[in-house]
Amino acid sequence: MSGWLFLAGLAVVAFPALVWPRRGLLARWRASLAWSARVHREDALKHILKCEANQEVPTLISVAGALQKGQRQVAALLADMEAHGLVSFSDGRLRLREPGHELALHVIRAHRLWESYLADQTGVAEAEWHRQADRQEHLLSPQQISALAAALGNPTRDPHGDAIPDATGELPAEPGQPLGATEINTPVMITHIEDEPEAIYAQLTAQGLRAGMKVCVLEKSPERIRFWADGREHVLAPIFANNIAVSALREFRPADLFEEEYLAGLQRGQVAKVIGLSPACRGAERRRLLDLGFVPGTSVEVDLVSPTGDPTAYRVRGTVVALRREQAGLVRIATERRIAA
Amino acid sequence: MNAIANFQAASVEDLLSAAQRLRQGIPGDLHEHVVEAIYGDAARIADRAVTRPGAPARPAVDRTIDRIVTSRVWGFPIMLVLFTVVFWVTISGANVPSQMISSVLVDRLYPWLRETAASVGLPWWLRGVLIDGMYLATAWVVSVMLPPMAIFFPLFTLLEDLGYLPRVAFNLDNLFKKAGAHGKQSMSMMMGFGCNAAGVVATRIIDSPRERLLAIITNNFALCNGRWPTQVLMATVFIGCLAPSHLGGLTAAVAVTAVAALGVGMTFLVSWGLSRSVLRGEVSTFSLELPPYRPPRLWQTLYSSLIDRTIFVLWRAVVFALPAGAVIWLFANVRIGGVSLANYAIDWLNPVGVLLGLNGVILLAYIIAIPANEIVIPTVLMLTVMVTGMTGLGHGAGVMFDLRDEATLKTLLQAGGWTTLTAVNLMLFSLLHNPCSTTIYTIYKETGSRRWTVVASLLPLALGVVVCAAVAAVWRWLG
Repeated sequence: MSGWLFLAGLAVVAFPALVWPRRGLLARWRASLAWSARVHREDALKHILKCEANQEVPTLISVAGALQKGQRQVAALLADMEAHGLVSFSDGRLRLREPGHELALHVIRAHRLWESYLADQTGVAEAEWHRQADRQEHLLSPQQISALAAALGNPTRDPHGDAIPDATGELPAEPGQPLGATEINTPVMITHIEDEPEAIYAQLTAQGLRAGMKVCVLEKSPERIRFWADGREHVLAPIFANNIAVSALREFRPADLFEEEYLAGLQRGQVAKVIGLSPACRGAERRRLLDLGFVPGTSVEVDLVSPTGDPTAYRVRGTVVALRREQAGLVRIATERRIAA
Repeated sequence: MNAIANFQAASVEDLLSAAQRLRQGIPGDLHEHVVEAIYGDAARIADRAVTRPGAPARPAVDRTIDRIVTSRVWGFPIMLVLFTVVFWVTISGANVPSQMISSVLVDRLYPWLRETAASVGLPWWLRGVLIDGMYLATAWVVSVMLPPMAIFFPLFTLLEDLGYLPRVAFNLDNLFKKAGAHGKQSMSMMMGFGCNAAGVVATRIIDSPRERLLAIITNNFALCNGRWPTQVLMATVFIGCLAPSHLGGLTAAVAVTAVAALGVGMTFLVSWGLSRSVLRGEVSTFSLELPPYRPPRLWQTLYSSLIDRTIFVLWRAVVFALPAGAVIWLFANVRIGGVSLANYAIDWLNPVGVLLGLNGVILLAYIIAIPANEIVIPTVLMLTVMVTGMTGLGHGAGVMFDLRDEATLKTLLQAGGWTTLTAVNLMLFSLLHNPCSTTIYTIYKETGSRRWTVVASLLPLALGVVVCAAVAAVWRWLG
């Protein structure tokens, strides 16, 4: 008897927990299925649009690679997308149709704007930007995105150097050529750092490489590429280097790059002039340094060094300001000796 | 007309698309270029227009002093000596005025108020709530809190005014940086040794949002002025006696210092943990200006530190002490079925208290004496007398009192079931528990966020519960 009572009680508790609208396990399970289907659909559209923008041909296999899913699953996904009028397979090629194009553009715009937001308005670590944006891109509505763009001052490029597309129109092609394909001893500038796959991207940002840096390849071999970027030497395997896009910098000589100096290297007794702030210095940090007077043309010198060696106090515009070593490494300077020369 | 309108529309469109194209061609962020150009122009204009006559920007005296106070050899010793002096002056200097205020407010005015109230014919319960509860709690808070703050804050402000404190932040920044915090947190932390509410206000000097939140949340780990007496009392009565008598004082001093050092260690540990977890996404920028040394303006310093800090903090404490006094009295005097509310609460809290190596009396005291740590010990004593039913001690239910005689105190507490473990865990719990209500309110005012206020209040409490439970478990396991 008591066994039946117990079972009945269990059923009374368990049944609503299972089928309760929106809160029940069943409803949650269906919501998560719908969510993952949406993420896959939008990621596939994103991949196809990127391929089209860069004059590459998207295929079932490339979509499966981008989504990291099996081909059978992706074939079903694409068939479903075709049925909904998002893509077409006319003349055997995978193409975006108008609604698909619009949605893909929206997702890419959302992703890049969110990354800009994270870079400029929050202290979220750089390695996290891509992952967080990968989630937000599916959550933000076009209205929210427009509001975000307006709040950020309609930026044209995200922190990786990618163009942020307008709500309508075409996605611009990714500019530049891969770092691995540049000539030795030719100054180039990083225009873009590909943020997929994540493992490679994390390695590149960990080395301090950013869009906007000036680079010069020193040595190339099938195993590695040795190059100079913002005051120090870097070594990368070619597979890593190919995720960095660069464009030519005609007005610079290689020597100009090698002789670049940073505030962190300034010695006691030397006087230097600020040339500018590194592209790696962004958002609130950049505005703060500008506020403190680290603007081009200002002269600086070392005033004090903390007993533990860091931070260092610099004399700038009649005040003494202490900066940590990492910050001082973001300020480009020219010492007096070089100005005279 | 129509044709012109069409033409204009077309040309505007062309212009916009040309602008868009050009904008796409600019490397980096357009806004940052504009901002930098504006700063550059402003700097050039200022250089042309402003002349700086006379003295050099940085006098030689300043440079010499800076070289000494931030030198590898002298930097840290000078710091240590200066702060030891400040604390010593505060502690030894506060004793006399504290006793004077106490003798006026508690020993003279309090009996007089009681008699007057009785002669006017106030009912006993109203007299109890107003005078034994509200007045006495407030008088207690004022007499214990006011003198140390009135000494500590001006001294601190003096060092600040002189320009020395930014150098301390400069010297210690590397240490705080490793914990993900800002060197200026050293300043708010030291202020916290005076009073946590004032320490929380002092975090305003940290302009980086993440580091400021860190400093606010961890300020409670700086052992404030209201908790020092608890520490000293427990250390002398219960821990000092464990050592041979000639070493008793030293042992007690070491114990108190160890607890304060544990607080500093907790500050770093919690800062480190928070900056890598919940606070990861907050904006962080470091900058530290080292202002020129100035001769301190003595009267102004005295005035501003008394008004801005001492009176400000005292006022908030009084506002919270008044209702708390009433609650304490009511807890001890409202009876249901012949048993007071306090007794019910103590019975109910006792199992938890024992688990933490404390007891129900201590937990209840921490709950109802939340406005100020200063009144925790008097409340504990009053409740212990009530629970043990000892006669000849104290002044009745709901009336806080203090014992200046250590032997009597020890007898009373031991009658209440106290052991060395209770004393050790009370010292730990006094360091690691929620901030007083004055500080909680100040944290809410400063952060404007309920979330961070809750985190700052409950995090130390959770740590205290864990640490006390662990110590109690190990203690009982060992013997």
